Amino acid sequence: MDNDNKITDETRNEQEIETEVPMGTVHSAALEPYRIRLFVEDEIVRDAEMTIGVNHRGIERIMEGLPVEKANSLTEKICGICSNSHIWNSVLVAEKALEIEVPERALYIRIIMEELERLHSHMLYLAHGNEVLGHETFSMRLFYIRETVMELLRMIGGNRVQYGVPVIGGIRPRADLNEMRIQRLTEGMDFVEEKITDFAERFVADPMIMSRITGVGVISKEDALRLSATGPTLRATGVAVDLRRDMKEYDPFEFDVITQDDGDVKSNLLMRVLEIPESIKIIRQAIKALPEGPITNRSWEMQDVTITKSYIEVPRGKLYHSYSLDEGRVRNVIVRTPSITNIGAMEHACIGNHITDAQLAIVQCDPCFTCTDRAIQIIQL
Amino acid sequence: MSLKSYSRARAVHVMLVYTGGCNGCDIEIVNCVLSPKFDIEQYKIFLTWNPREADVLVVTGPVTKHNKEPLKAIYEAIPEPKAVIAAGACALMGGVYKNIHGDIPSEEICGPVDEIIPVDAKVPGCAVRPEDVLAGAVAALPLLLEAM
Repeated sequence: MDNDNKITDETRNEQEIETEVPMGTVHSAALEPYRIRLFVEDEIVRDAEMTIGVNHRGIERIMEGLPVEKANSLTEKICGICSNSHIWNSVLVAEKALEIEVPERALYIRIIMEELERLHSHMLYLAHGNEVLGHETFSMRLFYIRETVMELLRMIGGNRVQYGVPVIGGIRPRADLNEMRIQRLTEGMDFVEEKITDFAERFVADPMIMSRITGVGVISKEDALRLSATGPTLRATGVAVDLRRDMKEYDPFEFDVITQDDGDVKSNLLMRVLEIPESIKIIRQAIKALPEGPITNRSWEMQDVTITKSYIEVPRGKLYHSYSLDEGRVRNVIVRTPSITNIGAMEHACIGNHITDAQLAIVQCDPCFTCTDRAIQIIQL
Repeated sequence: MSLKSYSRARAVHVMLVYTGGCNGCDIEIVNCVLSPKFDIEQYKIFLTWNPREADVLVVTGPVTKHNKEPLKAIYEAIPEPKAVIAAGACALMGGVYKNIHGDIPSEEICGPVDEIIPVDAKVPGCAVRPEDVLAGAVAALPLLLEAM
């Protein structure tokens, strides 16, 4: 679908699109509450308008004035899927601002946690995608593989969802890896790799699924760049952008940046299937080269600092955190999650598709609206 | 036991409503249904997204301001007899969003859930463990069956 046919707010009334299909805020097809208006002509979506803000909890506002350690653990509660990414990036901001040296071993264990999280997030995405496609067998199969990763996360962090591993200067003592944990991690990675290879072979060889997802929800390279798509959504259109390449934490590890060409649902799903072995590769390298030594650097002092920023690559794209410190308390908190920059791509992906594919087109961008709903200002008129 | 209640006791439908938590509880509950490890369907409990065919409402999250009215509407759309399970720390007491704050308390949270709709079973945890959700769902079943 090229841009000339896209209906803007100005031209909507002129073209007289009468049929509007509103979905939400709570809708049976969508897991999370959000609202989307689909403007339909002959069952083909001509325009889409997404509204978020239902989940708004004001987490940036309640963080203002909290002690930095407490604020860090509160950032974890922004999202239940990529909780480690949020606390990691928030801790990185403090470490960058206060110039704290982190022990090597802690850095490696943080990377292991982040990659485990990427594994479970990608498998959740694939399972959700398959459920939306109506293929519940694949969905259950992926949840079965994902359960291994969840157990490994519980083993390291003590909880299945909110692990809270990074703290300022290192990691929590509980999350240190001993011999038994390393062995279980190695066995777990072998299991996940074997099962996901098996899944990938079946998935690609399934003609029904492939014909269902090829050419649906296409986002071209130009559109993805224009709409500021990020993460796997951008990489699925052929742009090899991965912030992990630029992060100094990932310097010791070798991995490939996966790209796909088409930007449709097929590319997006295969993107995640192919990224899972890369994450396993990083975890294996980290286990093999895990340095000995302390896990926490406790010799740091609190100072007042101006606004400090940090970007990291999380399962869904680029995550931004910034805050300043004043007498040990955080001020001027800003969090920007990848899903909010992907909203433009989600709306665009719906256009030109059949109305039944709209939900699939949104799901292909891996939305996480609970992450996204934070910084919306509600103005009483 | 009449034929209707006999058959209905063997097909309990659960509806999941998500009112603005962190997604963690939500995914653990979906995990309960779809993961072969937990598999809530072996207790004859099925997930539905339609309130008119649901028997049990599972509510997660601290109920944000914008979710209050939809939650009431969903509760009213469920036919009698019905049971409500509040799952997770946010649904039980507002969670971190209501209780932890710096200078300004959050004005966005209307929860906990039992201030808005009556709650029959409570499942604690942040995030809830799938085993606890199974136990909570099974604990709510007698309420439904006695009412039939």
